[in-house]
Amino acid sequence: MSDLILSQKSNIRESILDFSKEYIVLFAIAILSIVTGIVEPKFLSVANMTNIMRQFGPLIMVCLGMTFVIIGGFIDLSVSGTIPLVVVITHSMIEPFGMVPALITGMIVGAICGFINSLLILFSGATTQAEALFITYGTMVVYGGLALLYTGGVTHYMTYMEADYSLFTVIGSGTVGVFSVTFLIFLVVVTALYIFQSKTYLGRTINLIGGNKTAARLSGVSIKKGIISMFTINGFMAGLSGIILFSRVTQASPTLGRGYETQAILAVVVGGTSLLGGKGSVIRTVIGTLLVILLGNCMNMLGVDVFMQNMMRGAILVIAIWLDAKRQH
Amino acid sequence: MNENKPENILSVKNISKNFPGVKALDGVSIDVQRGTVHGIVGENGAGKSTLMKILSGVYTRNSGSITFDSEDIKSTTPHKSMSMGLSIIYQELNIVSTMTVGENIFLGRFKEVGGMRGTHAKAKELLDSIGSTINTTTMVGDLSVSEKQMVEIAKALSFDSKLIIMDEPSSSLTDDEMKDLVKIIHQLKKQGISIIYISHKLDEIFDFCDIVTVMRDGKVIDTKPIGEITRSEMITKMVGRSIENEFPERPRNVGETLMEVRSINTKKLKNVSFELKKGEILGLVGLVGAGRTEIVRAIFGADRTFGHEIVIDGKVVKIKAPSDAKRAGISLVPEDRKLEGLILPFTVESNISLASLDKLTSKMGFLNKSKEKTMAEKHIKSLGIKTPSTKTRVESLSGGNQQKCVVGRWMELEPRILIMDEPTRGIDVGAKYEIYLLMKEIVKNGGSVILISSELPEVLNMSNRVLTICDGRITGEFDPEKSSTHEIMEKAFEFIDKGTKS
Repeated sequence: MSDLILSQKSNIRESILDFSKEYIVLFAIAILSIVTGIVEPKFLSVANMTNIMRQFGPLIMVCLGMTFVIIGGFIDLSVSGTIPLVVVITHSMIEPFGMVPALITGMIVGAICGFINSLLILFSGATTQAEALFITYGTMVVYGGLALLYTGGVTHYMTYMEADYSLFTVIGSGTVGVFSVTFLIFLVVVTALYIFQSKTYLGRTINLIGGNKTAARLSGVSIKKGIISMFTINGFMAGLSGIILFSRVTQASPTLGRGYETQAILAVVVGGTSLLGGKGSVIRTVIGTLLVILLGNCMNMLGVDVFMQNMMRGAILVIAIWLDAKRQH
Repeated sequence: MNENKPENILSVKNISKNFPGVKALDGVSIDVQRGTVHGIVGENGAGKSTLMKILSGVYTRNSGSITFDSEDIKSTTPHKSMSMGLSIIYQELNIVSTMTVGENIFLGRFKEVGGMRGTHAKAKELLDSIGSTINTTTMVGDLSVSEKQMVEIAKALSFDSKLIIMDEPSSSLTDDEMKDLVKIIHQLKKQGISIIYISHKLDEIFDFCDIVTVMRDGKVIDTKPIGEITRSEMITKMVGRSIENEFPERPRNVGETLMEVRSINTKKLKNVSFELKKGEILGLVGLVGAGRTEIVRAIFGADRTFGHEIVIDGKVVKIKAPSDAKRAGISLVPEDRKLEGLILPFTVESNISLASLDKLTSKMGFLNKSKEKTMAEKHIKSLGIKTPSTKTRVESLSGGNQQKCVVGRWMELEPRILIMDEPTRGIDVGAKYEIYLLMKEIVKNGGSVILISSELPEVLNMSNRVLTICDGRITGEFDPEKSSTHEIMEKAFEFIDKGTKS
């Protein structure tokens, strides 16, 4: 009987904690918007809102992918190498093969990059986040290097092409009613990933691996499948992010997507997904990404120095990790 | 009762300690008189170790008071309590194996005793005083367990200890080594040093303890001079009911051979082969580290092995991973519930469904959540798991209920062979009994059980057959009804007798 009461108590405390955790981020978003809106009314203008949504489009894809890797107890830095590789390959495919094959190839390249990461993790027997960090740091350099090698370091412009590239224009700046196409893609993807995470076997497997690899393995859950799927999804999402980014900026630069890995980790952790693995959701990441982008936008609006902005991001990441660690005890 | 209060070196009053979901200690009071050997007995999970950890300052108490050597102890740390004269010799010895004996004794105090020369000289004095001939310049890693214990005792003496707590010191000693320890205990007593002696072995308690305290479920049940209590009284107090029904009646369903294990070899195991019969409970007995766990992990495909054969129903089955074992009808309730069994921050429901997720998955890969809930509810009911809901996080349950979640996970698969590695460790008496009943039920339904346990009575009372394991080999096979504990333990200690340790 006393067991029962004790667990109920901790349950109530937990749900309050869970709620406040969500609340803090939403609260931060609200405060930030209100303060910036008062100091700089332009913040609320349609032009700025469109701007925010444009930034949101490519970054959220990486963040959603990263969510799975972090829930699975790993980390993946290579996304900022995958993005330019996908971009330059997609671009080079448009003229010889057409838009649709180029688009599909780009996505496949992204997924392959992620798949290779998972194989490296599996073959090296890496089990910790730190090992994954170093392995994917390596592949980040390799993928990014391949992109440079492929183009010779030259930036190509979509608009100079003879071939039809209208599909990418639609992805980058098309609208359906009041919604941008990018936003619609986001809605479809986040719904699909949410269902994947909460309702499928593989989604559960990824959660279990992050929760306790040993216990999952000893219960006959395939760790391999889980690791392969989390990294492949992340690679695929990085590819998608690359294509959206490419479509928006209309240029294939081998340096696109630089810094996305840290922003993605920041967004995932700020959203409340635990770096220790096992706990988190794509919905949290959506909120986290929103905060990260708003933060940058607001600081721009308020005229904060760019270097200062980077410092702020770093500080927020540290605070988010600190809060995460505190929640564990 | 306590007219001779100043006679007490240690006086513990009303100590309580709560862990999340468990009351580990509940109003414990114990007085230890100067110059006595005070035994503490109780089952696993009775609270002995928690109490000792509070005394030594590893844990802090939630309430109650401690008086040591007429001084009120408000809060303490392991180092502080040692300097006050209260030392603990743990089961897992607290020793740096890459340093010499002398260095270990005066670890961190070399300057105080006059450099390395002083260290070794003083260390030799201390060792001499307890009649030990260990060379102070030997690496501790090269010593036997009992010699390491001597070093620990010498270290305790170096702090001028007035009270030395020994936590199951005899659990890995041979008979001869035990005699040496008894000699030392008598000597310490003569020097006026008090000793708290924790043991599962009641013979020892009756042999040289003056007073004994029985603990159960975090409470002190009784404290009596050793002459005023009989063995069966003591056991009754320990288990909370008379000994006859500590275990259910032994099941007798043994049939044909179900599984043959042929020559498991790993770094640790040497050519381990045995058979398991249908409806049999097979007990594996051995010291911690003898290789019991490694054997079942090898069968289950949890570790890398160097080629062995598992034959079930006359057919060779390939088991390379736990998922293969699962398919072959083998289940494993692992040794360490928290590290290997449970996903602590997850719900009761997802911990129970963990091994049967494929059953809940549609062809498209979607999980059926309502089926998952029904599955969890079924086992919560049949195993009597006490939990507010299926969505409660498993870490907030008590040890026994957590273990039942792991067991329930495997019951769902209706295993033919259920391997249980220390299934009753750290769980209360009632839950233990229920686990025994469950094992009985499995063999009644034609399944078989392999039981590993450090609690000998448990193995001997539940098993149809017992294998002794020592140093990675099977050293003997016994019918527990026809063999004495002594015979079995002798085989479990076989390597020490052959002197593999130089």
